[in-house]
Amino acid sequence: MPPPRPEALDPGHGQAKPINGPRLLWSPDGGTLVVSGHWTTLTLAGLGAMPPRPDLRSPHGRMTAGPAAEASASPPLAEPLTVHWDPSSAVPMDMPPTRATTVTLDGRGLMALDTAGALQLHRLTEAIALQGMAVQLSGFAAPHLSLLALVRERLAAAAEGLAAIPPPSRPPVLERVGRGSWDWLLQSLGLLSFVGETALAFLRVLAHPGRLRWRQILQVVELDGWRALPVLGMLSFLVGVVIAYQSGVQLRLYGGNLYVVDLVTLTVLRELGPLMTAIVVAGRSGSAYAAQIGTMMVTDEIDALRSIGVSPLELLVLPKALGLILALPLLTVFANLAAVIGGMVMSALMLDLVPETFIRRIPEAVTLNTLMTGLAKAPVFAAAIAIVGCYQGFLVRDGADSVGRHTTTSVVQAIVWVIVIDAAFSVVYSKLGI
Amino acid sequence: MRGIRTCFGAACIHEDLDLDVRPGEILALVGASGCGKSVLLREMILLAHPTAGRVLLFGEEAQDLDETGANRLRRRIGITFQHGALFNSLTVAENIAVPLKEQTRLPAQRIRDIAMLKLLLVGLPPDAASKYPSQLSGGMHKRAALARALAMDPDLLILDEPGTGLDPVGAGALDDLILGLHQSLGVTVVMSTHDLDSLWRVADRVAFLGRRRILATGTPAELSAREEPELMAFFQGPRGSARSRAWNRG
Repeated sequence: MPPPRPEALDPGHGQAKPINGPRLLWSPDGGTLVVSGHWTTLTLAGLGAMPPRPDLRSPHGRMTAGPAAEASASPPLAEPLTVHWDPSSAVPMDMPPTRATTVTLDGRGLMALDTAGALQLHRLTEAIALQGMAVQLSGFAAPHLSLLALVRERLAAAAEGLAAIPPPSRPPVLERVGRGSWDWLLQSLGLLSFVGETALAFLRVLAHPGRLRWRQILQVVELDGWRALPVLGMLSFLVGVVIAYQSGVQLRLYGGNLYVVDLVTLTVLRELGPLMTAIVVAGRSGSAYAAQIGTMMVTDEIDALRSIGVSPLELLVLPKALGLILALPLLTVFANLAAVIGGMVMSALMLDLVPETFIRRIPEAVTLNTLMTGLAKAPVFAAAIAIVGCYQGFLVRDGADSVGRHTTTSVVQAIVWVIVIDAAFSVVYSKLGI
Repeated sequence: MRGIRTCFGAACIHEDLDLDVRPGEILALVGASGCGKSVLLREMILLAHPTAGRVLLFGEEAQDLDETGANRLRRRIGITFQHGALFNSLTVAENIAVPLKEQTRLPAQRIRDIAMLKLLLVGLPPDAASKYPSQLSGGMHKRAALARALAMDPDLLILDEPGTGLDPVGAGALDDLILGLHQSLGVTVVMSTHDLDSLWRVADRVAFLGRRRILATGTPAELSAREEPELMAFFQGPRGSARSRAWNRG
C-alpha cells in the first residue's frame, strides 16, 4: 500500500478555511531555508487561498529558523519575511549574505507536496547549487522525500534528451514564405493529378457502364439539386430584383424603361444565373463533400473501402461529380427563371412595366443562344466544385481540426475556380464573337 | 455513489446502484461490455448525470453543483478516456499543458516545466513532447493521455479501459506505470477494465457491475471464489481460470 497522502487541498478553496500557500523563510545566517505550507499545483498557481503577501522589505530584522519554523504553519499575516518570493515565478533567491557552504532545507513545516511542488523545490535546490553551495534536506516526511527523489531521478535520467530539445522558435519569414509556396505548388500539382485520376476513373467506368452507380448519382441530384431549390430560388429572385432596380434607376432618366428587360435577361442568363448557382452549390455541397470524405479519412473508412477492393474514386467522387454535372444546369435554369421573375416584379412596381410587356420584350432581348452560352458553363462549374471538394477531403490527415480547415479551403477554392473558369469562358466567347 | 439509476429512454442500465471508492486504493470496475461502466465513470466526474441517486465527491454532494462548482471538483480529478481523446491539433506537451493553462495562472515557462515533468513521470522520452498525437504509437498515446490526466496532480484518477488496444507487453508496462504512479503519488485510482491480467496485477479491490448494480466487491481473489453465475463466467471462464490458476501458483 502506498503511504497515506497528506490531505492537500480544501475542496472549497477560496471560500472555506484558508490554506497556507507555499512559503520559504531564510534563517538569519543563510544556512537554513525553511520550507512550509502547501506546495501543490493549485497553491503554487495562487488558487488555494493564499495569505496576502507581506511587506517584503520590512525593516524589522529577520525571522529565526529552527523551532520557530514549526509555528509558521499558521503565521500571523504581518510577519516580516526575508524571502523575496513570488510563488508563481521561477525560483526565489535574495539569499542573505552568508559564509555557509551548505544550505539545509528544513521541511518540517511542509504540509502537502505534489509533483508540481516537488518540481519547484527541485528547481530551488538547483538554483542554490548554482551558487556553489551544497543542499541538504532535513525534516521532510518520508512520502515527500520519495516524491522529491522521484522528480530528481526522472529529470536526471532524461537530462540528455531534455538538453537536445531545441527551444521553441518561429522559423524566419523567408523560410515560412518558402514552405508556404512549396506547399501551394504541391497542392496545385496534387489537384491536377486528382483531376487526371478522376477522368481516368470516369473512362474506366465508361468502358463498363454497369459499374456506374446510378443510385448514388440520383442521390446527389436529390440532395444537392432538389434540396437546393428553395435557397437558390430566393437568392436568385432577389438578385433579379436588385438588377432591375439598379438599371431601372438609370434607364428612367433616359426614358428607356423597356430596356430593363434587356439588361436583366442578358446579365442573368449569360452571367449571374450560372455564377450564383455555382456559388450557392459550392457553399452547400462542395463543403459537404470535403467534410464527408475528410471524416471518412480520419476514421480510416477510405482505407477500409480500398481494402475491400472498392475504388473511393468510383464510389465517392464519380457519383458526386456526375450527379452535380446533371444537377447544376437544371439548377441554373431554375435560378435564371427566378431571377427574371424577380426583375419582372421589380419592373412592374418601379417602372410601371406590366408583366405582359416584359414577357413580350424577352424574345427581342435574348435568343436561345444567350441561354445556352450561360448554361454551357454549368457542367464545368459542377465538375470543378465536386473535384475541388473531394480533393480537399482526401487531403485531410489526422483529426477534426484538419477536417474543418480543408472544408473551408474547399469552399474558397471552389469559388475561386468557378470565377476563374467564368472569366475564361468570357475570353473564349469574346474571341469567338458570341 | 448511492442509489444510482441511469436510464436512456426506457432502457435502464443502472438500478439502485451503490459504489464506494476508498481514498488511496486502486478500484477496478469490471463487467460485460455495454453494462454501463463508462457511463458510471462519466457520472463520477459529473460529465453525465444519473436519472436518480446521489454522487458524493470528496465528501461533497456533487450532483446539484452548478458548472463552477463542478469544475472546482473536477480540478481534483484526472481522467483518461477509452480512445485517449488527446487534442489532435496540439503537441503532446501542449496537451498536457492544457489543464494547467486553463485552470491556473502559472507563467508559461513554469507550465512547460511541469508538463515536461509529467511527460517523464509517465515514462515518455523527452522528444515525445513536440510530437503530435497522430505520430504516437498506441502505448505512447495512452501514456500521453495519462500525463494529461495527471497534469493538475489530481487526488482521484479515473481511467476508462486504460489497456485496451495494447499488446500484452505494452499493457503490462502500462499496468506497472499505474502501480508506480499510485505508489509514488498516492493518488486514488478508479479504472474500468476487461483485462484480467491487469485486474489481478493492479487492483486492490474489484467492483463487479452486473444485473444493473454492483454485484460484488472485494479483492480479485475473493471475487474469483464467488458463486454468482456472472462472476463465475467472468473469472472461471476459459480465460479467467487460466489467469487465476497462474495467480494461485504464485
